[in-house]
Amino acid sequence: MIHRLTHLLLLVALLGGWELACRLVPLPELVLPRPGRVAAVLAEELAGGRLLRHMAVTAGEMVMGLAAGAAFALPVGALLAESPALRRLAHPYLVASQVVPKLALAPLFLLWFGFGMRSIIVITALVCFFPLLENTVTGLGRVDASRLELFRMLRANRWQTLLRLRLPTGLPVILAGFRVAVVLALVGAVVGEFIMGREGLGAAVMAAQGMMDTALMFALLLAIAALGSAAYQGALLAERLILSERFDS
Amino acid sequence: MPTEPIAPAPPGAAAITLAGVGYAPPGHPPILAGIDWTVPAGAFHALLGRSGCGKTTLLKLTAGLLPPGTGTVCLEGRAPQGPAEGVGFVFQTPTLLDWSTALENVLLPLSLRRGPRRGGRDRALALLDGLGLGSLAGRYPRQLSGGQQARVAIARALVDSPRVLLLDEPFSSLDALTREALQEDLAALCARDGVTALLVTHDIAEAVFLADRVVLMAAGRITGEVTVDLPHPRPPGIRYDPGFNARCRVLREALDRA
Ligand SMILES: Nc1ncnc2c1ncn2[C@@H]1O[C@H](COP(=O)(O)OP(=O)(O)O)[C@@H](O)[C@H]1O
Ligand SMILES: [Mg+2]
Repeated sequence: MIHRLTHLLLLVALLGGWELACRLVPLPELVLPRPGRVAAVLAEELAGGRLLRHMAVTAGEMVMGLAAGAAFALPVGALLAESPALRRLAHPYLVASQVVPKLALAPLFLLWFGFGMRSIIVITALVCFFPLLENTVTGLGRVDASRLELFRMLRANRWQTLLRLRLPTGLPVILAGFRVAVVLALVGAVVGEFIMGREGLGAAVMAAQGMMDTALMFALLLAIAALGSAAYQGALLAERLILSERFDS
Repeated sequence: MPTEPIAPAPPGAAAITLAGVGYAPPGHPPILAGIDWTVPAGAFHALLGRSGCGKTTLLKLTAGLLPPGTGTVCLEGRAPQGPAEGVGFVFQTPTLLDWSTALENVLLPLSLRRGPRRGGRDRALALLDGLGLGSLAGRYPRQLSGGQQARVAIARALVDSPRVLLLDEPFSSLDALTREALQEDLAALCARDGVTALLVTHDIAEAVFLADRVVLMAAGRITGEVTVDLPHPRPPGIRYDPGFNARCRVLREALDRA
């Protein structure tokens, strides 16, 4: 309770300070709108339904990008964790593709997948792919030698060892990868929309900038922050539910 | 590497035969050399030696977890490639799965096995009950003490009715009272099912209490064998018997000579 109150007080102080600063130093609205003005725009956009539609589009791209990224990262991660030889072979390529900024590939995807949602989802998937892959390989490789020996003694095959030993051992690490990927998915989707979105929060920010509507840009940034926080909290909650008491350490 | 089921050996036949077994880890000097050893079916043998003398390595070779560098390892008349069916192994640490309950841990060997496994749950519960863990079957390993975890590991090794049981210092991390209680449980379970057992230990009294025959090892070689001619079943109080202590002394002196 005290905690909540402190949070609330801090928020009020920040907003109040912002409002006060705007009144004392009369900055043009184009540079820094007053919080009251931002709130009014936010309410208006929410009431008109436009903001929610943009949020839904961005959230949809996040979910699909994350799903596509995971659909590749998990099996590839399992394959690399199973085969040290393959891991050594793939390592330089993975490092190379890690250091290339994924967003620099946007023009190429524009060419391949066209302007719009498909390209944005591909970018989002690519951005999610690496943390998921990295954590899958690390997580599945975390199992200790004595438990592997136990499974060998019990004559478990590779598939059983993967599903019944490596996966549960690595689950906390893999889920931590998801938590990181969820946040990166938002970055991928929004920046993808900057470059080639017709709809979504990123596209709306670019449109607002074109109209020199700074208050609207602030309102949209607030929506992006809200979406990111919700996604992160959702990932945390899912993690806690999946791990439950079984993995409580 | 599946091997066909092995028919139970008749009593008195060799369950485990090691002939000229040696082992050297790749790029290292040999850990074991010239090990000849036979354990008859239904017998309880102990392997006694100081830590670092190669006991774990010998047990892993017997289990098929390591391939012998020289010589042959035969289990019930066969030389299997890799771990064979019908062999239970208790590791030096419990190595339980943290995310599974005690009961699920005991059932692991059955759930990994293809083929029929009717009545597994009842058998697992009966084993846990027999080891004094009946009321803790639903607990996770982190909610169990070290001694309770060791019991779960023993129940897990027994659940698939092994004909051969290999134990690597299973009680070494336990306090003396728990250790003695578990020794009594193990002796009863092995006698009841006619299990052939090979126990690695560095505890002389443990070897005398459990084994029919004790093999002494030093620096990777067998240095002596002593038969423990005490009748079965051995009551807990036998540990204070002069005859028991005399046999412990014999082993102690043999170890010191090696
Ligand atoms: N993989 C290995 N590589 C090199 N040396 C090893 C390896 N495994 C065991 N050893 C050595 O072999 C000896 C015997 O080990 P071990 O069988 O574990 O002994 P014990 O179980 O009797 O304590 C030790 O000196 C140990 O250092
Ligand atoms: Mg050892």
